[in-house]
Amino acid sequence: MKLRAMTRRLLMLLAASALLLGIPAATAAFASATADTGWIRLAHLSPNTPAVDVYLYSFGNSNAQIVLHHVAYGTVSPYESVAAGDYSVAMRAAGASPTSQPVLSTSVTIKAGHAYTVAGMGPESGLRLQVLDDELTTPTGQARVRVIQASLKQQVVTVSFGSTVLASNLKFSDVSSYQTVTPGTETVTVSSAGGNATSTATLLAGTVHTLVVLDGANGLEVVNLEDAAGSGQPPVGGAGTGFGGTASHGPGSPAPWLAVIGAGSLLALAGGLRMRRSGVRQRGRLHAGV
Amino acid sequence: MSARRPAAAFALAVGLVVVAAGTAGLLLTRHSTPALRPAAAGVAALPAPTGPIVAPPQPSDPRPVARPVSLVIPLIGVNTQLITLGLTAGGALQVPSSTSVAGWFTGSPRPGAIGSAIIVGHIDSISGPGVFWRLSELRAGDEVYVKRADGTLVEFRVTSVQTYLKDRFPTQAVYGPTPDPELRLITCGGAFDYATGHYLSNIVVYATEVK
Repeated sequence: MKLRAMTRRLLMLLAASALLLGIPAATAAFASATADTGWIRLAHLSPNTPAVDVYLYSFGNSNAQIVLHHVAYGTVSPYESVAAGDYSVAMRAAGASPTSQPVLSTSVTIKAGHAYTVAGMGPESGLRLQVLDDELTTPTGQARVRVIQASLKQQVVTVSFGSTVLASNLKFSDVSSYQTVTPGTETVTVSSAGGNATSTATLLAGTVHTLVVLDGANGLEVVNLEDAAGSGQPPVGGAGTGFGGTASHGPGSPAPWLAVIGAGSLLALAGGLRMRRSGVRQRGRLHAGV
Repeated sequence: MSARRPAAAFALAVGLVVVAAGTAGLLLTRHSTPALRPAAAGVAALPAPTGPIVAPPQPSDPRPVARPVSLVIPLIGVNTQLITLGLTAGGALQVPSSTSVAGWFTGSPRPGAIGSAIIVGHIDSISGPGVFWRLSELRAGDEVYVKRADGTLVEFRVTSVQTYLKDRFPTQAVYGPTPDPELRLITCGGAFDYATGHYLSNIVVYATEVK
């Protein structure tokens, strides 16, 4: 009986300490948990392909999660936030039945915290759906930019931002890799065998851009897409946003009280000793007097 | 010589009284005062603000959105003007000089534009609650509104609430680029270090614009 009670107490003690140790571990796990979503946007970048309806399906689900109607050449949708996982993207002629056989489809795996562009690319005769990985980081104080060449009329272009060449001799339906550039407002020049086109683009620090070269009504056009934006100069460390007025107060240091007790003890001890000594002396004197 | 005896007795008595007082003082100050806790969520709820709610911008739209002027978080009773904040000389995030207003970090995107907009407020002053005292009560799905200088409203929904030790602050996750219009609300939390006068952690509320 006594042994059982002791065992129970020991188990409770173990459980309590496990709980105390477990709380910080659980808090840490919560802090490191990241959102399990990614981003996708859909684009039509095939110059001689008529408008399409674009469908996004979660893998294995025949009900579309996103449908974009009548997407014409040159259109890039905003990003949609979706749960990480496997998806398929299908294109049908604009207005076609949602249950009809798609003209094109492709699969895309969306990882948490990553962004993707799924674009119809190439000429209509060789139309394909291409999955592009979009960047979400920049070096501190810099901008990142890439070029998509979607002009069929001028099949080879060279694109520069100010004096920085972003893509040299980029062929139709090709995509350059991202490049780091000094932020600012500069002239974007697209040069081709058929002539040059210029426009102005502002690329801020901490932003990621895609420049899309398109066939316009009159020659080449450049669309400046902002892929992502953050703080150009991220603050160092955390934020000092509190003064403790609502925080819990600890019991404070016991040192001053211990010092008082120590001093009192010394005083009492000294007084006690002196009394004892003078008492002894008086008793001695009394004895001597008898 | 015998005059010493009352003096010694006096010293002994005073010493004992001092020891008793010291012991009482020590025992009486051994308890700790708990943290001031907010009332149950929703008690001071405000109505959602009214005004034209705007859609997120297109990625190719070069027009800047209007600057933010105020922040409303109905569930936790926050309705504050937004001041503008930059960086300190040391490169840290500047914080409002008043504990009762929040501020927008001008080095971050404007709320409702593409990217991660940063709004900062104090959890408390030296004596009581600050503007973001109840920020940690927010949960995924809660609404946050930003009013802009042109009278438009941007509506955000909380996606997550995280607590980070300041010496392990995730700069990229908080300040890094995002492809959609998002908001981060930052305040202090966790344990308070009385030696340095600072909280050891930051609470970050992540929210995304409602379409």
